[in-house]
Order: sequence, then structure tokens, then C-alpha cells
Amino acid sequence: MADHSSHDPLAGIPFDRVPPSGRYGAAGEPGVTVSTTDTPFIALVVARNGFAASVAARLGRAFGVEVADRAGAAISAASTVVGTGPGRFLVLSTIEPDLEGTLRALLGAEAAVSEQSDASVAFNLTGEKVPDLLAKGALIDLDPRVFLPGHAATTVIAHIGVTLWRVHESGWRLLVARSFEASFTRFLVASGAEFGLALENGTAGRG
Amino acid sequence: MSAPNRNRLTSGGLIDRAKSLGFSFDGTSYQGYEGDTLASALLANGVRLVGRSFKYHRPRGIVAAGAEEPNALVELRSGARREPNTRATVTELYDGLVASSQNRWPSLAFDALSLNRFLSPFLGAGFYYKTFMWPAAFWEKLYEPIIRRAAGLGRAAEEADPDHYEKATAFCDLLVIGAGPAGLMAALTAARSGARVILADEDFLPGGGLNAEAGDIDRRPAPAFAAHVVAELTSLPNVRVMRRTTVFGVYDSGTYGALERVSDHLPEPLPFQPRQRLWRLIARRAVLAAGATERPIVFGGNDRPGVMLAGAVGTYVQRHAVLPGQKIALFANNDGAWREMLAAQAAGAPVETIIDVRAEVAPALVAAARAEGLRVLTGAQVIATAGKTLTGLTVATPSGTERIAADTLAVSGGWSPAVHLTCHHGGKPMWDAGLAAFVPGTCPPGLSVAGAARGIFGLGACLKDGAAMGAEAAEALGFTVPAPDVPEVADAAFALTPFWHVEGSKGPAFVDLQNDVTAKDVGIAHKEGFRSVELLKRYTTLGMATDQGRTSNVTGLAIMASLTGASIPETGTTIFRPPYTPVSLGALAGHHRGKDFRPVRLTPTHEWARAQGAVFIETGAWLRAQYFPRKGEKDWLETVSREVTAVRASVGLIDVSTFGKIDLQGADVGAFLDRVYINGFAGLAVGKARYGVMLREDGMVMDDGTTARLSPEHYVMTTTTANAAKVFQHLEFCLQVLWPELDVALSSVSEQWAQIALAGPRARDVLARVADGDVSNAALPFMGAIECTVMGGVKARLFRLSFSGELGYEIAVPARHGAALAAALMQAGEEFGITPYGIEALGVMRIEKGHVSGNELSGQTTAGDLGFGRMASTKKDYIGRVMAARPGLTDPERPCFVGFRPVDRSRRLRAGAHFLKLGAAPTLANDQGYMTSVAYSPHLRHWIGLGLIKRGPERLGERVRAYDPVRGEEIEVEICAPGFIDPEGVRLRG
Amino acid sequence: MRIPCPYCGERDAHEFATLGDATLTRPDPAAADADAQFHDYVYLRDNPAGAHEEWWYHANGCRQWLRVARDTRTHAISGAVAARATEQASGEPA
Ligand SMILES: [Zn+2]
Repeated sequence: MADHSSHDPLAGIPFDRVPPSGRYGAAGEPGVTVSTTDTPFIALVVARNGFAASVAARLGRAFGVEVADRAGAAISAASTVVGTGPGRFLVLSTIEPDLEGTLRALLGAEAAVSEQSDASVAFNLTGEKVPDLLAKGALIDLDPRVFLPGHAATTVIAHIGVTLWRVHESGWRLLVARSFEASFTRFLVASGAEFGLALENGTAGRG
Repeated sequence: MSAPNRNRLTSGGLIDRAKSLGFSFDGTSYQGYEGDTLASALLANGVRLVGRSFKYHRPRGIVAAGAEEPNALVELRSGARREPNTRATVTELYDGLVASSQNRWPSLAFDALSLNRFLSPFLGAGFYYKTFMWPAAFWEKLYEPIIRRAAGLGRAAEEADPDHYEKATAFCDLLVIGAGPAGLMAALTAARSGARVILADEDFLPGGGLNAEAGDIDRRPAPAFAAHVVAELTSLPNVRVMRRTTVFGVYDSGTYGALERVSDHLPEPLPFQPRQRLWRLIARRAVLAAGATERPIVFGGNDRPGVMLAGAVGTYVQRHAVLPGQKIALFANNDGAWREMLAAQAAGAPVETIIDVRAEVAPALVAAARAEGLRVLTGAQVIATAGKTLTGLTVATPSGTERIAADTLAVSGGWSPAVHLTCHHGGKPMWDAGLAAFVPGTCPPGLSVAGAARGIFGLGACLKDGAAMGAEAAEALGFTVPAPDVPEVADAAFALTPFWHVEGSKGPAFVDLQNDVTAKDVGIAHKEGFRSVELLKRYTTLGMATDQGRTSNVTGLAIMASLTGASIPETGTTIFRPPYTPVSLGALAGHHRGKDFRPVRLTPTHEWARAQGAVFIETGAWLRAQYFPRKGEKDWLETVSREVTAVRASVGLIDVSTFGKIDLQGADVGAFLDRVYINGFAGLAVGKARYGVMLREDGMVMDDGTTARLSPEHYVMTTTTANAAKVFQHLEFCLQVLWPELDVALSSVSEQWAQIALAGPRARDVLARVADGDVSNAALPFMGAIECTVMGGVKARLFRLSFSGELGYEIAVPARHGAALAAALMQAGEEFGITPYGIEALGVMRIEKGHVSGNELSGQTTAGDLGFGRMASTKKDYIGRVMAARPGLTDPERPCFVGFRPVDRSRRLRAGAHFLKLGAAPTLANDQGYMTSVAYSPHLRHWIGLGLIKRGPERLGERVRAYDPVRGEEIEVEICAPGFIDPEGVRLRG
Repeated sequence: MRIPCPYCGERDAHEFATLGDATLTRPDPAAADADAQFHDYVYLRDNPAGAHEEWWYHANGCRQWLRVARDTRTHAISGAVAARATEQASGEPA
């Protein structure tokens, strides 16, 4: 983004600070709403050799969803299981503070579990223009007629690694490494400005 | 100012006469209409002289009506938005457009440098190369300044570009390139099968040639038919119609590059809109329907303003309702151009004369022309032109030479299919003798060609071919394609006799108007032996620059062929490479410019450090605190020395979250670590950490770090910041490829944990106030590693490690607590004067302590070089062991790691200085090694260094020279052991 | 270039890191001529014009090492399989 543009949505915001909550870009009903205020508990499960199918089945039973060993998101009211690689599952929960402990108890020697609640920032993106915004950074097919609710991908957006899945018709969720929050939010703001973007990340809003 | 739109027809055309647009050219104001290009609006206003040529400053006018325009390049806009070399023929007119001619001085009408034609012997073929052979002093002082002023095109803006650009990706089953008759039918046919279709067209009005077509299609005027098809396409959810979008390149795996000019038709982009958007289009199949480009006939004086391509004349008349002139003549070698002129005449254009090189032309066509009152000269050639802008022609006919009055000469030498994109994977076009044109050869995988782009020149045939190609592509992708409904259009026969160059005509005969390359230059290139097309191109510059030889390549080739006596296909064709048309650098960068050039990573304590006054520095992708200056400190050295002294005297803290952290779990982790580290890890006790060194398979050191065992089957490894990703990838290679049988699961936990190093004699006192449990020497001895809680219940990992040489700990907490931990440590350490320090102080302390770091882990050092030889286990195998034993890597003469201090303690040391024996000449043969790291040691109060020198450890106490020719310095230094402080390690065990 | 990852689907090459020849086997370090074998393994790499098997690591995806069959002249990719797929076939419980 140019420093002198008359319509730079990031004007005045230091590049090394997360842009504050507020409205950016075009006025009117925002085409995209971005929120990072939900902070789920997250853990990574890596099945030990030969246990991928069994781990998937156990996770499915425990969380009441269909989990398969593939790139997909199994979503229930309080938890989500996302495949990020063969035998690798990210588990998100809104109700299990000791998710790591719960999963260790559940999976025992079948999987390695690591705490990841602080490793990433969960971006919730809603709005009709989300696929158009993400297409400005992603190199995968996010056409809503192709990438359906429950589809997931671990990929790169604007040179930043993300795991993303489509939660429902107009809702998308992205996990981005915590250290990249400022840069990734800048990408969202710059790319979403044409649609109008509402950002809520718990920081002091801007007028 | 003359009468506005004096050359505009009163009806017809695809312009909106109700929407008048004001614009200016070279300071004069004019009016045009919505639907105009800058070129059509200039012609409508009678402006025919639009620029000066590249080398000879000859007056030039508008030649074409599309992207192939070689002449009408203007500077568009002003100030920071000024853009040079913009083709007026593709510049959509907008209200308030400001353009100026370029390469003229002092004015377009009077150009002092048109005298360049007297210099033309010097500026001819090969002038770039010959010029360099002139005396060097002349070049710099005389010729370069003159040529820079004389030869060249527009001026770039001098300010930063104020606009915003972006990049985007879209996927489709079928990409159709070009929305002319073939493209529209291809897109429609495939779209009706349900395939996802993208139709990209460079024009602002899709339709291609249909927009300049006079006849009806399906009982509608041709442009209305095009609009009707576009409307249906636009209404379909599986179709994306991209206007103002040029597909400029074909890349691997069905990836196409395209540039969408989102806002170039506006005075400036609308708020929050990009100026241009670079598209990566990923298509399973593509149909290229880019049409064909008309080519001129080369004759003397063919660059005079008023000489245009015949199809361009037709386009201006039919599409823009503009008469390019009041007395129009045609010079051609084919029937199509005749029909074009007859249609233009029917629309109201004053076409008077047809000159055809062919002796025999279809009698029906001749009769039709004569019936319309046109004069027809067959077997005739234009041999000269007259006028500043064209006023007359000299024509050689079978019965003699005559002069003909004309202000516009429409020229047609035939058509060249736009095969460019078919060549982007190395495919070579093939010569079609019947068409006298190159047609597509081997195409990139998944790309097929339809319509005029593959040499099908009839409108009816193009519609059919487009439908067939669209259907074929969709069916190949598994779609069921309804029978295409293609309107019937009767095509006249294609009739053309190849003709390229009027030999013996008067005045320079330009082959490449944009580069001022004449037929004579081609002759010189031939005479001097530059006969291959690639050499011809480079020697004469034929076919270079913005038009990439659209109108000149085939003609140049044909002239060369006639000189060598070879055929055109034997002579070859130049290879077309991306981009098809120019792409701005801004579009290629998109969002990633300035500070957003690449993403930055911020540490968990970034905001806390900022509040402490930190100065930040980029280290790889990370932004880290470099140092924390205080008021009154005069430079960074004073600050860093204060930080180091504070740590050594009391206590300090630094964020080391940037280290890579890898979680390893499984029954075989110990065995695995044994195979990747040179030293043994199988015996590491739970609750302990160990320093390890990892080699590459070639025996060089890859990385170092510590690994701690948290429980019997759970370990956590740290890597250097720089190598975090590389080490993870390496470990995955070992596990997935080399030893898949091992039970080890890897997870990156780098982002999960904030990690703060606490160092100094008071470190334990501070830690005890923050930790919830016992951190005594007994509970957490040197190299201890425990899981516990801090700050009243925050999960934590404590490692007793030291990089500084002081009593040290690394405290890891979940990242969201990182800043709180820093604040808690500051508060707990307040009474000890706890000091935040940055990576500069960290660097000074590791040099004082003699630890290796990135400068020493250069990829060219072995474990032995760095003093880790004895660490290497002899009881096991590990990655790199076999290759590290090679004689060259165990040679005692290898430069090895030691410390250095200046003999004159007041002297400053420099990293990068090379070591020489005292009295030895500074030659490569005498090179003994080099200084890898230096620092001012506040502890010793002089500069110290680390480095690699031959047989270093055997030479402690010896004096050598540190020779730094880059800075012109030479210092006598003394070799010493690398530990400058507490070499016995008492402090860190305390 | 786009690489068909068996787990992730077709992905742009820039998500991957490459390590070259996938037809080589790490020599037995205990072999009598291990040094010569390792020299070949580390340095003597073929550079075929045409069909080639290469290691590609899906760094910004599933983190699998893939054995990719690629034509070095055209970049045409005829297939990709995970390094572990074949190795684990025997060990995987039914
Ligand atoms: Zn993958």
C-alpha cells in the first residue's frame, strides 16, 4: 500500500502494530466482517505411526462429529476437528480449558498432543465478499461453489501460512500464527477495503 | 482550436454522443465521447501528428486501433501519476484526460532533434554496439548525453506511485482469451454446459472485431449480437466476464497471468479501488481467441502521419464513427482490405482510390469498387509519400508513375494470427504459405486456439470454430455440451498475394516504426552477417519495446528472407515470451510494497519492548529489540555497553521467543536425536537439557541448540532463529524418508511459547519471585529443565541455560502471557536494577563468552572447526558423520575457531578482516582465515573478536595481522582462547 | 507450477521446498566403502533432461515429503506420492 494514497485504509497505522478495531474502506454495509475476539482452546494431535484411523475415530466419538483422516473440518457446537496433514488434527474447543490433558487421556499412546491455544490467532470472517478478499492472497480455489462448508486447507495467504475452513454458508475461519497477526490483519484491511471491512479484535476502536 | 469532432460522422458507431468528454493533448483542449479511445478522439478532432520517433525524431501519427500500435505513444496524466509510453489506441477516454506527446523538443510541431536524421548513419543498425567502439572518453562526455536526449521514449514519474495495486487468483474449467467472434462462441458454448468459464478481453467493450463489423449476425447488427452474447454470459453464475483484462502469459500447470486495468479509464481510482489487478488464472483448459494483427507493406515514406493500417481505418469508421481523413486511399495485396474499404465507404468515409500490388483482382470486387465510384489501380505500388502529414502519394503503375492526392493511406499487407501465447512454452509457430502467415505450432498443454488466431479469417468460420473449440474443451473436461447454436454468416473467399516491401521506393522505408528500423537497416544486418532472426532483432532492435514487433516481425523476416534467398520458414521467427503487453511493476508487487514488502513477525513482547523504548531491527522475518536506549546516551555502543554491564553485574532480560521450538514425542525420540545430533542424547535424563550440534549430510554444521527431556517420551528442541524452518524440514525428512520406522511425532510449538531469557548473578533471585515453586540450585541445577507454573498459576517451562555466560534461565509461558511475564520480571527485578537488553547486547555477551552463532555457522564450518570435535560421539552413527571424516574436512590446516584481541587495546576490530602472518604479503596464498565476529567488551574495556584461523587452538598467544582492505585497515592481533570471560564456567553454575 | 499433493490437492509450487533426486537411497554408514558411497549420494547427482523423481516437502501445507514425478523439460508432473505411503503400507493396522 502506497504511503501517499488518498485512500490508504492503513494510513497512519504503524506496520508493526495490529490495526485497531473499526471500520475500514468503503462506507455502507461491510462486505466483510473480521473478528478475532473468540479465543478457542486449541491443541494439535499427531497420530503415532499406524494410529491415524484410530485417532480419527476416537476424536469423532469424543466430540460427536465425523472425523476422517483428510483435509476437512468436522464442526459441532463447541468443538471443531480440522485435518492439517495425514494423522494430524487441530482440535478446537470453546469449553475444554485443559484440552491438552483431555486429549492425552483420550488418545493415550496413540498420539502426541501439544498445547497450541496461544500459537495462533483465530480470525472469523463473515460476509458475502470473504471469498473475493481471500482470493487476493490465496492460491487455492475458494470459490464458494467448490469450497463448501466443512472443507479445510492448510496453505499460504499473502505469504503467511494459514489453516482455514469454511464454517457455514458465509462464515470462514482462519488460524494464523500469532507472530503474523499484524501483517495478516494489514493484508485483510488493505484487500477488504474495497468491500468495506469491519474489524473487531478487542483493541481500542478508531473513530 | 478547430471545430470539435470535425471528423466525426453524425450517426453510427459505438459511442454515446450524449456523453461528451473533455480532454487535452499537449495543452490544447478537445472533446470526445464515451466509447472513444484517446486515438479515436484525437482523429475525430483532426489531430494527426501525435509523437516523434525514437531515434530520428520523425513526425508520427496513429497507425493502428489496438495493442499493436507502434507510434502513438503518449505520456498520460501528470505528476506522480504520469505514465510514459501509453498507447493512445488502447487508452479509454475519460473526462479530464491529460496527455502529452513525448520525445519532442522543444515542441511536437518543431523538433530541433529531427536533425537526427543527419546523424542517421550513426544511429542505424547496430548503433548500440558500434557506439561502444568509439573512444571511451567520447562516449561518456559527448555521445551518451546527446544520445540520451535524442533517442528514447517517455519520462517516468519522479514521485512514488500514489495508487494501490493488488493481486488475485481465480480458478476455472475453461479460460477463453479474447471476446471476439470465436471467443464469444467458445465461452457461450462451454458456459451452457455448466463449466466454470472465465472470458478475458483486453478491450473495454467485449466483441473484438464484431465491434467494427458492418454486417448483421442473427438479424442483429454485429456489435449488438456481441452485446447479446455478453449479456447472456454475464447472467450465468458459472461465468466471469473480465473486461479491460489482458492475458499476458502462459505459465506451468494451466496458470495464466492477466492484468486487469480496473481504474485506468478513470482520472484516478475510485476510493479503495486498486488501479490495476494482477490475476493468476488457473484453468484446466484454455481457448486462445486473440484474433489477428494486420501488417503493413513497407515502402518509402511509410511513416508519414496519415499512413495507417486498413483495419484501423475500418475500426475508426465503424466503431468510433470517426473519419481518419477526407481523402482516403488503400494500398493492399488482399481482398479483405478492399471489403473493409467498401464497408467504410458505405458508412460515409471518403475512400477514393484503391492501389493493389496484384495485377489480377477478382473482377466482381473490382466492379463493386468502381460501382461505388472508386478509382482502382492494380499492379501498382506506392513508391513515395509527401507532406508533413500526408498530402499525396506517388504511385508506380504498369503505365507509369503518377501522383495521387490523399490525406490518409490505408495499408494492408495481410494478417498475422496473434500466436504469441502459444509460444510461451517454447512452441514455434508454423508458416502457412496459403495464408502467408505464421499459425500456431505446438501449444502449451491445455491450450487450444480458435478463429483468426489460428488463421481462420472469415467471420462465419470464426463463429463456428469458436463454438467447436469451446465444445471440445468442455467435453474433454467431462461436461455434456448442448449442441452449439451458431449463426450462419457467409464468408467471402480469402485472397492474398504475399507482398512485403516496395523496393526502390524513395525515402526511408520503415519496417519497425517504434524502433525506427528501416528496410535498409535489415540490409545492413544482412551484409554484416547478423542474419539469424535472433541476431537481426538484437542488432537492429527490430521487434523490441512496447509493441514487441506486432506489426513488424513478419515483414522484417520476409525482407531478410528475400536477401538471403531462403524461404520465410527457413529464416525462422522470433520466440514470443511473456508478457504479451507491458505489465506495470506495481501490479506485480500488489499489496507487498513498502513496509508490506513481506510479512513481519512480531515477538510476544513487541508492544512491551516498544513501551520500554526499544529500537527494533529485522532479523529474518522477525522484528526484534536491538537495544533500549536511554536519555542522554550518545550512541548505540554506550547503550549496549550499559546493558551488558548491567547483566554481568546484576540481572537483565531478553525475549528469545524467536528460537525454533520443536516438540518431539514417542518411544524412539532418544534414538532419533542420537542420529541427528553429533553428540549422544539417549542418556539424557528427564528434567535435563543438553546442548547439541547437528550436521548436514555433507559433514558441515547445520545448526545448534538445546534439547530438553520433559518426560520419558516427551522432548522439546530449540533451534536458532534463522534455521527454525530448515531444521523442522530436515527432521521431517529424516522421519518420513530415512527412518519411517521410528516412533517420533513432531509438532512445531514455536508460536505457542513466549520465551524470555533471564541472565545475571541476580537471575535466580528474580526468578524466585515470579516462579510458583522451588528454583533453587538443587531444584533447578545447571542444564535443568522443568515444567511448573509462574505468576500464580500460569503454565511454564523453566530451562537453566546460558548464552551470556552468566547464571541464566529461559522461561517459557504460553505466548499470550509473554508480555505479562516480562512485566512481572521487571517488577520482581526492580530492586536489582533489572535491565531489558536487546540482541546487540546478547551478541556482545556471547562473543565475550566465546559461543558460536550465525556468523560461525556459515555452512562452511565443521564441528571440528568450531571446537566441537570432542563432542562428536564415536559410539554411534549420525547424519554427516561419514562425510565429516573426509581428509579435507579433518585437515589440521583448516581454519579453526579461536578468539582475538588487538595488541594495541585501543584499536577497533573489524569482522571480515583476513588474517595474515606478520610480514606476509596480502595474497590469497597467504590467507590464514578471517574474523567472524567482533564486539566491544565492556567487561574487558577493549574490542574482542572471534574467528577462524589455520591451526588456531595450537597458536594461542601468537600475533598475526588482521587485514581489512575494504576499510583500508590493518591491525595486529593476538590469538587467544575463545572464552574472554569466566572460561571455567563458574558463573553459570553458581 | 502446481503439484498434486495426495493430501491437500493441487497446490502452487511456492508452498513447497525441493530437495532434488528421490531415486537415491541413503547408503549404509557401516559399509566398508561408506565414504565412497556417501560421496556419490551427496554430490554425484544426475540432472536428467526428461522424466525425473524428486523430493518436494509441502512446507506450507500438510508437511509431507512427496516423491514427485516431473519432466524437467516441460514441468509436466505425472504424479506425487507421500514418502511414507509406501513405507507404512505394511505397518498400518488393517
Ligand atoms: Zn500437502
